[in-house]
Amino acid sequence: MIARDRNWLMIFAVCVALAIIYPFFAGGYQLTVIRDALIFGLFAASLDFFWGRTGILCFGHAAFFGIGGYIMALVTLNDAIPFGSLLGIIGAVAGAAFVAAIIGYFLFFGGIRGSYFTIVTLAMGVICQQAAVSWSSVTGGDSGLIGIPPIEFDLGGLHVDLSQDLPSYIFVSAIVAVTVLALWSISRGRWGTVLTAIQDNEVRAAALGHNAPLRLLVTFVLSAAIAGLAGALYVCMAGLVAPDLSGLLLSTEVIVWVAVGGRGTLLGPVLGAIFIQRAQQTISSFNPSLWPLLLGCVFVIIVFVLPDGILSIYARLKGLFKGGRRAQ
Amino acid sequence: MPPKACSPACANVSPVRPDAMDFLITTLLNALTLISILMLVGLGLAISFGLMNVTNLAHGEFVTVGAFAVYFVQSVGGSFWLGLAAAPVAGAVVGCILEFAIIRHLYSRPVSTVLATWGVSLILQQGLELIFGLGAKPVTPPIEGTLDLFFTVYPAYRLILIGIAMLTLLGVILLISRTPFGLDIRTVIQNREMAEGVGINTRRTYAIAFTFGAAIAGLAGGLVAPLAIVLPQMGVNYLANAFFVVIVGGVGSIGGLVAGSVFVGGLTSILNYQISPSLAQAIVLLAAIVAVRLRPNGLFNGASR
Repeated sequence: MIARDRNWLMIFAVCVALAIIYPFFAGGYQLTVIRDALIFGLFAASLDFFWGRTGILCFGHAAFFGIGGYIMALVTLNDAIPFGSLLGIIGAVAGAAFVAAIIGYFLFFGGIRGSYFTIVTLAMGVICQQAAVSWSSVTGGDSGLIGIPPIEFDLGGLHVDLSQDLPSYIFVSAIVAVTVLALWSISRGRWGTVLTAIQDNEVRAAALGHNAPLRLLVTFVLSAAIAGLAGALYVCMAGLVAPDLSGLLLSTEVIVWVAVGGRGTLLGPVLGAIFIQRAQQTISSFNPSLWPLLLGCVFVIIVFVLPDGILSIYARLKGLFKGGRRAQ
Repeated sequence: MPPKACSPACANVSPVRPDAMDFLITTLLNALTLISILMLVGLGLAISFGLMNVTNLAHGEFVTVGAFAVYFVQSVGGSFWLGLAAAPVAGAVVGCILEFAIIRHLYSRPVSTVLATWGVSLILQQGLELIFGLGAKPVTPPIEGTLDLFFTVYPAYRLILIGIAMLTLLGVILLISRTPFGLDIRTVIQNREMAEGVGINTRRTYAIAFTFGAAIAGLAGGLVAPLAIVLPQMGVNYLANAFFVVIVGGVGSIGGLVAGSVFVGGLTSILNYQISPSLAQAIVLLAAIVAVRLRPNGLFNGASR
């Protein structure tokens, strides 16, 4: 096992341990705050899985989050559908994956990469939000849908009821941990290696026999499916769904979480999501319109000062230290 | 919060007389209004995105700044025409600062350009909101009333808008094909190293071309201000549509720009008669994606790059 993997697993283990002991110290409200932040962390990890591995930036990832959320809301609010929670989650994941598959097929097989992809997905996000606002007979328009019940289902004799704070926290933490671990093992294995090869030089990767568009498509669909899952979890925990969940601002924020946490690390974006949301809540309590302004500044600062995320400060300090020793 | 206004530029005008000829001409003029606006916004984007390979997500804000310039001049008592003259200047100033402060440092880092310009776009939106306050800003057109065009009557201001847009386009074509500066631009676009080799200051050429594109987008914002809902967040709709114009039309030629504008603007305008604006937007997006899949190098360009 190489050192990089060992480090990652160690940090992962520390995070899981912190997540396990946290309920012993925190009250119900703090648990729900961290739980919601973890859901957005899952969303950030889903974007990082695509952006970090392929180098292609999706600027409308909240569209998948919103699609998942709306499908979950519509399924669970419909009394005629049995097993609402389970079917809702499955529908949310499948719906987000389906939309990603259609868009991804045309783009990847059409040779669209880089900035072109970013722009088309940006427009996709804008349109998803507009659709959520204007299709009010189904989506509830501007005010969205409220009264979405908490997740509750029976699976193999096990009764899962997430109406309480602690069970829902444990459920969300477990899903986030399992998903991040799974994404990490995919991206460090052969699949991730081929994606890195495609990112470095797609023509060469194709010449070696790899079907580059198909790889990119499958990665994109998987990423969108997890974003849909995060959206479904979020609306059940929050109890409501609104057009903002598929909006540009959320798409923008998730990029910041990934960029601040460190692109390509999967764990960094989750931590980035948690920390930045805490900061956002604090700042917004002073003045709500200050946040987008600061967000804009964060973008510019990241690009010029910290292109590899906050975790890179550690590596830089280490490099500085080593460099100092060499100079002696 | 993001805009609630759906139409990319402006609403359609309904025909007044119930005959087919009237309907046809009105539809055509509505489409032409939208196409003119998209062409002007897309022009700057074609320069930065298509030719310099810079993805500037703050391009929509040039339009916003232009529209706000007209609003500001009118609100302090100036005429619309004075505001319209101020609009491209405002766009150029913002564009020039953006180029100097950010874009020129990131020519070799495309993803960083995307992030940084998006940050600037957020800062500009929020800054405008802090300065001018929440809510839509009223801008009154210089000419009320309609013009009788024999087959139909059409709002006079829209006809002026189409005229100014066409004249601007003509001016740009002449600038690029007939002047020494246009020659510089064409040289730099074809081969940057070679252009430097023959003594052209490519940085300066890029900076001027970028500022010029921003000025034209500002002019577009000023022109559309009386027809649109003037909000700090209005830019993103133009941004998305202008990018489609450039992508669908193919980069690198005025012909592609016109073809892309006709495709996106025409389709949007015609669909707006039948269905809700956001559904029309979604269909145009899908059509654009399919068009790009079928013709990756744009409608206008040949099969190979």
